[in-house]
Amino acid sequence: MRIPDRTPRLHRLPLLLAGLLWALSALVRAETPPTPSVENDGLYMFVRLNTPDQMAAFYEARGFPDNAIERLRRTCFVMAHIENRGDEVIWLELKNWHFLTRQGEVQRLNRNDWERLWDEIGLPQASRSTFGWTQLPGERDLQPGEPVGGNVILPATDDPFTLQADFLAGKDRRAGMISVRFENLRCAKDQAAP
Amino acid sequence: MKPRRLLLLYCLVLNGPAWPVADTLPLPPGVMAVDGTPAPPLRLDSLDGEPYDLAGARGHWVFIHFWATWCGPCKREMPSLQRMLKQLQTRQIEFVMVNTAESEDEVFTFLATVAPDVTPLMDTRGLVTEQWQPRGLPASFLVDPQGRIRYQALGGREWDTAPYLDFLHRLEAD
Repeated sequence: MRIPDRTPRLHRLPLLLAGLLWALSALVRAETPPTPSVENDGLYMFVRLNTPDQMAAFYEARGFPDNAIERLRRTCFVMAHIENRGDEVIWLELKNWHFLTRQGEVQRLNRNDWERLWDEIGLPQASRSTFGWTQLPGERDLQPGEPVGGNVILPATDDPFTLQADFLAGKDRRAGMISVRFENLRCAKDQAAP
Repeated sequence: MKPRRLLLLYCLVLNGPAWPVADTLPLPPGVMAVDGTPAPPLRLDSLDGEPYDLAGARGHWVFIHFWATWCGPCKREMPSLQRMLKQLQTRQIEFVMVNTAESEDEVFTFLATVAPDVTPLMDTRGLVTEQWQPRGLPASFLVDPQGRIRYQALGGREWDTAPYLDFLHRLEAD
């Protein structure tokens, strides 16, 4: 009877272990930061900061070309989900959102900025459309019970920042203002592979 | 009829022009009445390559649903829509699903696991969806027999539950 020689497998053991460790560290790297949320006067909101790898994977899977992905990787994705849990209309208006660092306010990249960029690189119309639908609307009324979600994109920054978001309430915007604040947010980063 | 042919679920048995506008219907949660502006054009091919034109749908209500595979609420809502379609398929509302700016492969793979009986129209460039200006995805519109938008649903809804089915049945009877 031939005895199988297992030596080569034993030699591979360190390699397998290294692979396992790499996979585990990749899992850790893929974790998103905790998701802060607030509920205030009938408005519920949470934000999540996604890593460039996560966002690249999303858009790559939808056929975005490399030059678009490369531009998106240079930015900071703030995914926001908002629900109107009250009885009044609430107004989502990104002009009333402020991203504040110690150095001052960070201006978000708006739809015109992206359209210019997409024109430059000739992004196909289907990708532009998908990209548009994944962004938070610039201005929208939220009816009672209505949710909305999407991304707000900032230039990448290493500085912690505060998101101060004000929402006017009432059909005519005259039923007061709901303010929410998320402090010490940080753009999520891909960790370098070991 | 093959399941994939259910696309437009032509469940149309027209009873003649007896449709006073349903402005007084009690509305289920998340459905709002709108002002009756004329529906934008909607001319697209289905995933099976069959052409569709909303202009040919005068005389009955049309339920138009915009969605995409990457959209979480769309994914959660789709099975409910499929169950609703099965419950209403012999009635007088036409159901039209419009996929927004995705490829046939993406849509086919998604529907095979989530809602195999649905065959959507393909807005491959996303331009028709933009003309309709939904508040987000998913979005559902109800177009009346005169071609005017009468209702819009806010976000994903449990379409196969009583409040929504009752509402749709009342539209049928309108």
